[in-house]
Amino acid sequence: MFTFFCTSFCCPGISCCAIFRKNDDIHLHMCPFGNFSCVRLELQRDGFCQNPFFECLVAEIPEELKSKEGFTVVGYALYFYTYSTWKGRSLYLEDLYVMPEFRGNGIGKGLLCKVAEVFKQCVRLQLSVLNWNTPSRDFYAAKGGQDLTVSEGWHFVRFDGQNLDNLANDAPKI
Amino acid sequence: CFKLSQWAGRAPAAPRHRLQQVMAVFEALPAWQRNLEQDGFSKNPFFHGIVAEVSDQHRTKDGHTKIGYALYFYSYSSWAGRAIYMEDLYVMPEFRGKGIGKALMSKVAQLGLAAGCNQLDFTVLDWNKSSLDFYLSQGCFDITATVGYHCMRCKGEALEHLAQP
Repeated sequence: MFTFFCTSFCCPGISCCAIFRKNDDIHLHMCPFGNFSCVRLELQRDGFCQNPFFECLVAEIPEELKSKEGFTVVGYALYFYTYSTWKGRSLYLEDLYVMPEFRGNGIGKGLLCKVAEVFKQCVRLQLSVLNWNTPSRDFYAAKGGQDLTVSEGWHFVRFDGQNLDNLANDAPKI
Repeated sequence: CFKLSQWAGRAPAAPRHRLQQVMAVFEALPAWQRNLEQDGFSKNPFFHGIVAEVSDQHRTKDGHTKIGYALYFYSYSSWAGRAIYMEDLYVMPEFRGKGIGKALMSKVAQLGLAAGCNQLDFTVLDWNKSSLDFYLSQGCFDITATVGYHCMRCKGEALEHLAQP
């Protein structure tokens, strides 16, 4: 049984480092979508201000099992509160990441369970997954996740960059 | 002619009530009313809102002057940083086609940019072609269709089961 433990996001430097490792790892496997990069200072600012934009759980392993590069923080879950006028408080899991060499040991499941357990006042947990990412889709389906895009037809839509600026410029004065 | 105001004080029951009447045939009405005020008006609210009001002379047959709203909250992306998510955008049917929906959405975008957000996200049903066409005409893109993201949800017994160690 693989030993690991989940702790709250208590050390911004180490935890932001884990997020950057995820970004580098995933960037190799995904088509780049946009040229955005969330710099370390923004992550630290936004996760540790008075009203943080997100919260994070990290998975750490004992020193003797550390990665080749010496990391003991090998995974994390980043999430924030959302709201539904139908159902009330909800949680959105933005990132669930485990370093490739530590997968298959129940760390992802452990992080997911911890997120669901810690915030029991929420009525639902939501996330998104890429349609070609079959292992992840199967993983979430096995945990009871429903694919609302397939079952109900929900699509994510986004404004960013110049289109977001243009939309904002049309706003009337309050 | 309408004006927008930020949602403060009591929840605008009128527009939501009308939406509930329409949607009641599809979903059980939620016990939202007792939680909405607590969740929206505490020190750290779970959401923010903007209400569209018309003048008294343009009020509805039932006497409502609050005829639309947008409900949003802040979200986050470890790729892009701060973002804003628009959960609801609603205008009473008799007031549509007058630019009120666009004005509400623009105001959400403006407030989001002012708060340092880089993205405005929301969801729309694929069969709701008129809404999808409207949003696309305003310059957004469909992430599900172009990039392949699917919305996933875990609730009820599945969520409780997930929370078990």
